[in-house]
Amino acid sequence: MAKNRSPDDFLPLTPAAFHILLALADRERHGYDIMREVDERTEGKIRMGPGTLYGSIKRMLSDGLVEELDERPDRELDDERRRYYRLTDFGYRVATAEAERLAQLVKAAKKKKLLSART
Amino acid sequence: MKTTADLSCRVYKFLLIAYPSAFRREYGHEMQQVFRDCYRDEARRNQLAGYWLRTLIDLVLTATKEHSEKLRKDHTIMSTRDIVSIVGCAAIIVIAFALLSYGRAHEVASILAFGRVLDAIVTTGITGNFIIFLLVKTTRWHSLRIALWTFVVVHAVLLIVIAIIGPQVETQFRFGPIMLAHFLSFLFWFGLHWAWHLSTRQLLYK
Repeated sequence: MAKNRSPDDFLPLTPAAFHILLALADRERHGYDIMREVDERTEGKIRMGPGTLYGSIKRMLSDGLVEELDERPDRELDDERRRYYRLTDFGYRVATAEAERLAQLVKAAKKKKLLSART
Repeated sequence: MKTTADLSCRVYKFLLIAYPSAFRREYGHEMQQVFRDCYRDEARRNQLAGYWLRTLIDLVLTATKEHSEKLRKDHTIMSTRDIVSIVGCAAIIVIAFALLSYGRAHEVASILAFGRVLDAIVTTGITGNFIIFLLVKTTRWHSLRIALWTFVVVHAVLLIVIAIIGPQVETQFRFGPIMLAHFLSFLFWFGLHWAWHLSTRQLLYK
């Protein structure tokens, strides 16, 4: 699905999609793990519901941004019916492009003194 | 607490019916699992009311989104099929009606031999296909099942009406040939829908 498409075609990402990509940037996770990571990282400011999470995952799977793992990473510890997801190379490029876009915005906000230069 | 959690999970499982069936089949189990895990966390924080409110808002918004996405997708797949099937049915009805009119006007014996069958094909074709189209568009029932039961009911109702009215209109009324004609008409229309269903399925899974 991501064939012949540039990461820029997917920008701007929805907040939910970007948070999911961020959560998957360091390792593969299952749905609840993604939610917990987002919750902890944003100090409870972003709390995705199951519908938002799996609706976004469905679209990202079909766009080739994430993929489902065949193997469960922690098979012994976990319910084997859980599905694990990880970033694809293309998904990683899309997440990077979105992060750069947001960094540009932050830079512009600093220039306009909406943010202090230290933040 | 366990009973409340179980009840909440059961309620959430029931509410998942709001999503399109394909989405529910694909992600329903995981959504329930995530709901249960989050419920446990929120119960520890004593924030269950807020959790339920957030979950319900999420459910309404995302179920609407999934349905509108599905409708958009279905529309693009269905539009060509719809046009082909409507034009096809209309053409068959028009040809049958034209043949019948021509046969009656010119007393063509070979056409009039099939007069009752053509008659049945025209009347049941118009009513049956119209009802099928409406039901396919407004319900989620299987299209072939809709076609089968619609044609069964339409043919049966018409036969009953003819059986009641026929003897009053025609003195030498014979019900046998009419029944046979309606049976052939049923086979024709349902066979056509069945073939159409098979060809569409092959196209979709090619």
